[in-house]
Amino acid sequence: MNAAFVTAMLSAALVAAVPLLLASLGEATAEKAGLLNLGIEGMMLSGCFFGFLAAYQTGSSTIGVLAGVLAGLLLGLLFGFLSISLQVDQTLVGIAITILGAGVTAFLYRDIFGRQNPSAGVDAHLVNIPLVESIPVIGPAISGKPLLFYIAWLLVPAFAFMLNRTRFGLNVRAVGEYPFAADAAGVSVYRTRYAAIMIGGAMAGLAGAFLAVIDLQLFQVGMTVGLGFIGLAIAMVGGWNPWRIAITAIMFGLLRSLGNGLQILGVDVRTEFITMLPYIGIMVALVLLAGRTALPSALGVPYARGRR
Amino acid sequence: MNARFSTTGGMTGILPRLAPEGSGGGGASSRPPVVEMRHIRKQFGPVVANDNVNLTLREGEVHALLGENGAGKTTLMSILSGMYQPDGGEILLDGQPVRIGSPAEALSRGIGAVYQHFTLVPNMSVIENVALGAGSNVVLDMDAAERDLQAQLGEFGLNVSPRSKVSDLSIGQRQRVEIVKVLSRGTRVLLLDEPTSVLTPVEVEGLLDLIRQLKARGVAVVIVTHKLDEALAVSDRVTVLRGGRKVAELGPDQIAAGTRADAKRRVVEAMFGGGAGAGEAAVPEGGGHAAGPVLLALHEVRADGNLGAEAVRGITLELRAGEIFGIAGVDGNGQKELGEVIAGQRHVRSGSVSLDGKEITNSGVAKASALGIGYVTDERLHEGCVQSATVADNSVLKAIRRAPFSNGWWLNRKAIDAHARALIQQFDVRTPGPDVRIGLLSGGNIQKLLMARELAGNPRVLVCNKPTHGLDLKTARFVAETLRRHADAGNAVLLISSELDEIFDISDRIGVMYNGDLAAVFPRGAADAETIGQIMLAGRAGAEARA
Repeated sequence: MNAAFVTAMLSAALVAAVPLLLASLGEATAEKAGLLNLGIEGMMLSGCFFGFLAAYQTGSSTIGVLAGVLAGLLLGLLFGFLSISLQVDQTLVGIAITILGAGVTAFLYRDIFGRQNPSAGVDAHLVNIPLVESIPVIGPAISGKPLLFYIAWLLVPAFAFMLNRTRFGLNVRAVGEYPFAADAAGVSVYRTRYAAIMIGGAMAGLAGAFLAVIDLQLFQVGMTVGLGFIGLAIAMVGGWNPWRIAITAIMFGLLRSLGNGLQILGVDVRTEFITMLPYIGIMVALVLLAGRTALPSALGVPYARGRR
Repeated sequence: MNARFSTTGGMTGILPRLAPEGSGGGGASSRPPVVEMRHIRKQFGPVVANDNVNLTLREGEVHALLGENGAGKTTLMSILSGMYQPDGGEILLDGQPVRIGSPAEALSRGIGAVYQHFTLVPNMSVIENVALGAGSNVVLDMDAAERDLQAQLGEFGLNVSPRSKVSDLSIGQRQRVEIVKVLSRGTRVLLLDEPTSVLTPVEVEGLLDLIRQLKARGVAVVIVTHKLDEALAVSDRVTVLRGGRKVAELGPDQIAAGTRADAKRRVVEAMFGGGAGAGEAAVPEGGGHAAGPVLLALHEVRADGNLGAEAVRGITLELRAGEIFGIAGVDGNGQKELGEVIAGQRHVRSGSVSLDGKEITNSGVAKASALGIGYVTDERLHEGCVQSATVADNSVLKAIRRAPFSNGWWLNRKAIDAHARALIQQFDVRTPGPDVRIGLLSGGNIQKLLMARELAGNPRVLVCNKPTHGLDLKTARFVAETLRRHADAGNAVLLISSELDEIFDISDRIGVMYNGDLAAVFPRGAADAETIGQIMLAGRAGAEARA
């Protein structure tokens, strides 16, 4: 095992971790507010498709990413309307949105592109970081990545600050733990939950856009293959703490990119087995964590004032 | 907002400042009352909770709202605090009609409520709880807030760190945090819903002092309560509700110390319609009954609590036919878990439980219930009943598989309905009918139905956790009498409660639980409240050290 191998693995892992990280940060925010967003997969897939579509049409990766975010955000709004305003069961809403996302994107993609599978061919805005670049082994794995890659990792401290040090974060935690208390203290449970699920949706959309617009620059039907759900699991494994989520996401990034690494090493393993690893990893993580996660008390519970 | 109660906003200036001119008493002021509720009406489905109720609150005046369960006290307060919207009537604030659309709006108008179920987030710190919903700064400055809060907590005799988690505080401490939190929002009308029901006697005294302190500062305080003596000790004015209607109001001159006995009589009369003589010494005496054979025996029973820690630590106990065994203890000392062990719904890690000499350790709820163990939980709403189901369905919840309610496959609606009607009548459950969702009834009426449900099965051993918690005098006495009768009929009753009065009233023997252990057992005659109170608070060793 040499330095070039470590660099390659680390580089691949960090990139592979980004969609998981983004989706997971958003999911953590929604869950902290008491909303279990099982629609995350559909939101992410919609972020992929609409991000790709906009990037392909305009030739701008920025517009593509924004379109992906918008798609996720709107689905977040839909989730909020159904589960917060209409008080439909969150699990049903989530599954419906995931199926909706898969169906709509598959239909539109085939309708618009027929049998073609074009590449977006956009500028991913790669950034070289002068000093970091020259650090041996680690440097090349970190430098020279797309701008959105760095933004994603900077969102870790940003979310940590938002959840722990801002009034909004305090409100989010309160409505997820004990909405009655938040309501009695004058915090709008509905508004806070809407904001949290829209953040969750937007982040899932951003995760999808990173995948389809920046990283792969193409769309495939069902291309998220459960990454959204892995992001959901990472949020729980990471205890809704952005720093721990980041570390967990890197570990899963490693699992996702292990295939390339083993190829470099010349190990002969079936690719099907390699692609299965993240999913096995999540099972193992959940088993190890069983019973040790303290879920937000009001997770999945709708709030209606004055209900008896 | 009234300039006399200038607060500097945010965390600073947590208390309304003392009014410069005469406050307290509040009789002679020509200014309009702080709050006037007029002709308030509120309905939940077919249940009329408030019907044409008037309530007037003046600054520096303590107003007690009395009434039996389901009289509409909590509903009236919830309307004032913005939790419920009235179906009719109006609310005037400083003489101006207002609509209070939400708790936030109530708070911004200076109306703050402390509910029976505290509105503190257990997983958050004191300071975070006080900061919740207060102010508008985007980034929280916890250090500055902590300095401010520290002083103000001290002012209320609260010796806790603002950084401590609420779940680590005692109930009394939580209540004060709650009051501090509400006052920090510039509250000048403070609503206290059953504030003493969760407190120890010492804490109650402290709370009454605090109320007097607030009154002197010009805050209008409302106490919703069942406890007549406490209410009269601290109130200037008393309003009595009954069946959703206001039936009496007593002013300061009628409550004055000299006429207190008279006032008490009048209030009781108004609450219960002159019958029942609810003020007098309570309930048939216990003592001397317990001579029967052992029905239930626990030997060295150990069981874990919900959080994994051991909650019941080697309890050995025998319950005899004909006796009521009272378990006293501060909440969270393993009493609840002990009750659940006997009911068969909590796993016993070691030791044995036997009924009539036959071991039934860990045989499960269905078996325990079939063998004649009844259990009335203290969590009426979440564990005791299915809120969205009807009164009738709830009344047969545990017997649904048995004849005549079903033949194993089909339900017999007629039998269920008749059974429910009988229970409703026998226990005087106030409900428009057996087909009403049970969640629409008041807590006391739900409790009566749960009690009725268990007793209908005529259990050999009945375990009751806080059976009269939150019940009014008359209902509480009815429940106590029912338990006594049940024991006298040759059954055994385990009565778990944190209220000593309740235990002393009907128990033959009294055990004290402390830290998962049965710290002491007294025959009724040999027990005195002070000793038991000390053991409740400090365990046997602690109590002896003090003595």
